[in-house]
Amino acid sequence: MNNLLMFHGRECPHCIVMMPIVDRLENETGIKIERLEVWHNEKNADLMRSYREIIEPKCGGQLRTPTFMNTETNDILCGEVKYEELKDWASE
Amino acid sequence: MKKYWRCHVCSDVHYGVNPPELCPTCKVLNAFVEISSAEAEKICGIAETTMDEVEFCDAIERFTVGNKFQINPDKNRVKTLLEGIFQNEKNYGMKYCPCRLTTKKFEEDLKLVCPCNFRIHDTYKDKEDGECWCGLFIRR
Ligand code: SF4
Ligand SMILES: [Zn+2]
Repeated sequence: MNNLLMFHGRECPHCIVMMPIVDRLENETGIKIERLEVWHNEKNADLMRSYREIIEPKCGGQLRTPTFMNTETNDILCGEVKYEELKDWASE
Repeated sequence: MKKYWRCHVCSDVHYGVNPPELCPTCKVLNAFVEISSAEAEKICGIAETTMDEVEFCDAIERFTVGNKFQINPDKNRVKTLLEGIFQNEKNYGMKYCPCRLTTKKFEEDLKLVCPCNFRIHDTYKDKEDGECWCGLFIRR
């Protein structure tokens, strides 16, 4: 499994905004972010829940979508972010 | 702990730590008596009501009246959110927020039922152009 994950919801407007930004990052840098939909896939949802203790303190105490997670460093980014911010996070 | 209460005059049912002082329906003071969950369930089961997307929209529209927030005028955003809310109800039994994930603990997840208590969200509180986390409700 890739160490960069994006937990997203199919009907979440923030995720809908972030999708083309993730596409661009992947195309321009070759970095891959594994996209895991959580409201229509129980396995992905349980995976996100298993990271509760890491995600929640950085996302307003909740499991918000989108949440970007680096499973090696536990670096978290949540919500809508600008291309550059996502790139910085993914390149670390 | 929250308990069930019944108005001894009109049988309004209330679920809460304390009973309402004034019955919202019959306006009688100090009218509530504690009852069992089984009794409460029977009373609440008397009337069958529905809540489809149109009815839900009406309900949240009425909910905004007199409040400092409104439904987002961005129709597409609202449509996407409603889709998610109703998908979640179909799949998980409650109108869970499409922009956050449940914990699988029912009581805790009541905080994620739409409309949630978004007034405390960092995206809303103390913000002039505040909105609920998903942007369904925005400040007027
Ligand atoms: S954040 Fe907005 S859409 Fe989500 S549950 Fe709260 S009010 Fe509903
Ligand atoms: Zn009454």
